[in-house]
Amino acid sequence: MTFEQRLTRLEKIAAELESDDVELARALALFEEGIENLRGAAEELAKADARVQRLVERANGTFDTVEPRE
Amino acid sequence: MTGRRGPRDSGNADLDLFDSGGPAPKRRVASSPPPPPPDEDFDPSSYPGETAQTAVTVSILTQTARDVIEGAFIPLWVRGEVSDFKSHRNGHWYFSLRDRTAQIKCVVWNRDQRMIPAPPDDGMQVAAFGRLTVYPARGEIQFAATKLEAEGDGLRRKALEVTRARLEKDGLLSLDRKRPLPRFPRVIAVITSPDGAALHDIVAVVRRRGCDVRLVIVPAAVQGESAPGELRAALDRVERWGGADLVIIARGGGAREDLWAFNNERVARALAACSVPTISAVGHEVDISICDLVADYRAPTPSAAAEAATRSASELRNELRKLSMRMSGATRAFVRATDNRLRHLARDVADSSADQIARRQTRLRAIAGRLHALSPLATLSRGYAVARDTTGATLSSTAAFREEMLFDLIVRDGVVPAQVRRPSEPTDTP
Repeated sequence: MTFEQRLTRLEKIAAELESDDVELARALALFEEGIENLRGAAEELAKADARVQRLVERANGTFDTVEPRE
Repeated sequence: MTGRRGPRDSGNADLDLFDSGGPAPKRRVASSPPPPPPDEDFDPSSYPGETAQTAVTVSILTQTARDVIEGAFIPLWVRGEVSDFKSHRNGHWYFSLRDRTAQIKCVVWNRDQRMIPAPPDDGMQVAAFGRLTVYPARGEIQFAATKLEAEGDGLRRKALEVTRARLEKDGLLSLDRKRPLPRFPRVIAVITSPDGAALHDIVAVVRRRGCDVRLVIVPAAVQGESAPGELRAALDRVERWGGADLVIIARGGGAREDLWAFNNERVARALAACSVPTISAVGHEVDISICDLVADYRAPTPSAAAEAATRSASELRNELRKLSMRMSGATRAFVRATDNRLRHLARDVADSSADQIARRQTRLRAIAGRLHALSPLATLSRGYAVARDTTGATLSSTAAFREEMLFDLIVRDGVVPAQVRRPSEPTDTP
């Protein structure tokens, strides 16, 4: 799952947990899933890395992204 | 300046008035009236037109006048008021420039209009750059302009208004068209000069904020004559590539005319046609370009564009922290509510000693305090009892319990068979 997907899921989980009519078993499952997503998202965040590339169009009309010459 | 112009190449040697033997007279470029420079070998006794018999044709006269005038004036700026402006079917512009006491016919050839933002209006005070010539077909002196500048940058203002109105008419400036930016773009195409300040600023912001993103530079000239074409080509490449989920089109601050490419209608239309959301960041805060109006988001500077496009690692960590707090808060509230329910229920449940219930409640409270440190399932399952009917369905409401009904109470280490003593009333606790 991407960071974005995890965040979106976490928002849904929090909202459902906050709702009035959640069942016990459901709440437990949600909380567990939430913890799992929090951990995953935090890991993704730790790996964050900005890359800079350059778009190159080949003669045959295909594209490549290459590291720019610094 | 002492530059000289040769006689105009008319393509017809017969037309040369001075072609009566000997080289054409040398002419001096000067602001003073061009003196007829008598060369040593110039024989005035035999010049054409001296007598009725040697009369020159009108064509020769006007051609010669043209040669003389063109040779006499270097290209220069002239200022005056525009009148009788006409854009001819053939694409050329015709008008007069005048002041209180004089006027001169002017023309801007079709091919020279490219660098002029907009045609002038009658009454505009302009400065025109060009060269003086003669239009032989009418025998008129004519000023052929290649650049026009109006007082108060009027032509650019007019061009902006015209472009804006046309885009507006096509709905391209409508706020309804604005798409939201992706929350987490993975790949951002950055259309800008590869060695400009704008790119430098954008990269710096993204690195400083520790964003998890790929910036893909799509190089284009951002000023000068080739800029509009290159910007359009870059937009087109991004579109055909299809790998970006956000486009930033950017240029650092500069003189107004340096930002002009971003007011180009075709560039604006290409930007509007982008299939992914766009951010425009052109010049400084005060400069608003047509591209800014068309883009989904207008950033005042390239750095601001990078900030709008991405979210910093610390911002995201904060967001995770908030979500974590929401979840534990909600779960804690849930535990409290369940605890309440448990207490009410306990009074009515057979085979559960008061002792057991009290222990369970104590645990539940202890657990609630440690919620965000521990896995909730393990924590809660240590303190919760889940009631199930004999088919295994969870009994979560007082309404589910009937008098004398048998059910199972599931606790951490096993199942407690139980029976309802008498039906209970729901409590206020949700």
